[in-house]
Amino acid sequence: MSATVKPPLGARVAGWFTPKIALARVAWLRTVLYLFVILDMHAFVRDTRLKGEHPGLYQPLLLARIFDLPKPSVANTTALYVVLIVACLIGATNWFPRVAGWVIAPAFTWWVLIGMSDGKVDHDHLALVIALWVLPTVKSQKRGRAAFGDQTRSEAAGWAVRCVQICVIATYFLSWVAKVRSPGWKFTWPGSAVLTWAIVRRPHPVGEWLLHHPWMLHVMQWVGFIAEFFSPVILWLKGKWQLLGALFFLGFHVANTAILLIHFLPTVVCWLAFAPLERIVPWFRKKRLARDARKTEEQPESGRQAEQQAGA
Amino acid sequence: MTEGELKLGRVGKAARVAVAVVGIVLLVNGSARASDDAWPFGPMSQYAGSVPDDYAVTFTRISAETDAGTTVDVPLNIEGAGVARAEIEARTGEIEKDPSLLQQVADGWKKKHADQPQYVKLELIRDTTQLVKGRVEGPPTPEVLATWQVRR
Repeated sequence: MSATVKPPLGARVAGWFTPKIALARVAWLRTVLYLFVILDMHAFVRDTRLKGEHPGLYQPLLLARIFDLPKPSVANTTALYVVLIVACLIGATNWFPRVAGWVIAPAFTWWVLIGMSDGKVDHDHLALVIALWVLPTVKSQKRGRAAFGDQTRSEAAGWAVRCVQICVIATYFLSWVAKVRSPGWKFTWPGSAVLTWAIVRRPHPVGEWLLHHPWMLHVMQWVGFIAEFFSPVILWLKGKWQLLGALFFLGFHVANTAILLIHFLPTVVCWLAFAPLERIVPWFRKKRLARDARKTEEQPESGRQAEQQAGA
Repeated sequence: MTEGELKLGRVGKAARVAVAVVGIVLLVNGSARASDDAWPFGPMSQYAGSVPDDYAVTFTRISAETDAGTTVDVPLNIEGAGVARAEIEARTGEIEKDPSLLQQVADGWKKKHADQPQYVKLELIRDTTQLVKGRVEGPPTPEVLATWQVRR
């Protein structure tokens, strides 16, 4: 009988934070997230340059005050824009991804800080911003296209991926905390008229139909409330069950988009940290091998036919 | 297919675990005690409020008189007047005290839509919709919070 000795708790905790994950997953995340940043700058946090033109309502957030960041101006927001676009395009190729990454992380954080420095803060950027800070900590073995297939398992890659996963889940769990905190640490949110309130303020056809059926809104509130509380479980689920958890929350965002017109795409894209992206290249290679094998099987056959025809 | 493994050194691993734990502590602390100011470590407070069944739902908008003699609702988004509704709602108190802050709404519109009727007078209006037992009861009541004659 062989009894496996469990490593001490400290080592197990450290191991949980630094699982061995293939470098290819980080390469894919770099490409997708750096390109997403470009999309984000035009579609979501898109008023940063405008705030450089009209800094009248600028109200710097804590981080901007701590680092004494200059007030947005046409010059600095335009520079920020150009630097971000160039660095994101370079980082997305996986050539010099760390240099590009260390430029993108502070630059995009500043970009978002300006975008949210006017009294309104969105809560969908936590995972994306943290992802940008952890990705450059991973040293890659291969550059360019070869990086997407690199199966070298790395604890540094695992840590970066884990951090993104934690932030995705934290977005939900901490939303639950906020819902309990807001009425003074009570559980009144799911039974309240919060969705009715939201729809009255942002009217649209789906919502206005739902206003006539408040019980449906209450059911949705309870489902969201309970799901957000249990969301951390997903960090420990594996395989199919984790996929189910991810799909549930993606559905949750679809519903939110329909009812509240809030998409949370910057969080949604970070769910990719849970996906085994490192399997994409081997999967394609296997398919190509199978196809080539079929071709070589067919070739001698056609060769023989050609010989027979030549001899005829 | 294995292509080797890259392990972290003791220091590298300890530092990473420490950063992650500190980050989690900051997040939880922010959610429990901080405000939006602490972004990205602030509370996830979007739609987190408990709205009572008899709540008066308010909705802030800006109404404009144009040089074409029409009265319109200012489109409060980037493409419209370059200012989002949430920004206006967050600064309502300040605008009430200093209506000149509305000037940039007119400037923003002029810059983006020079070929269209321009704003000559702006009014910050709060619409109130009364809830009764969690249901919407009747149309909203408007209330003018601030008025600004646009400077040319």
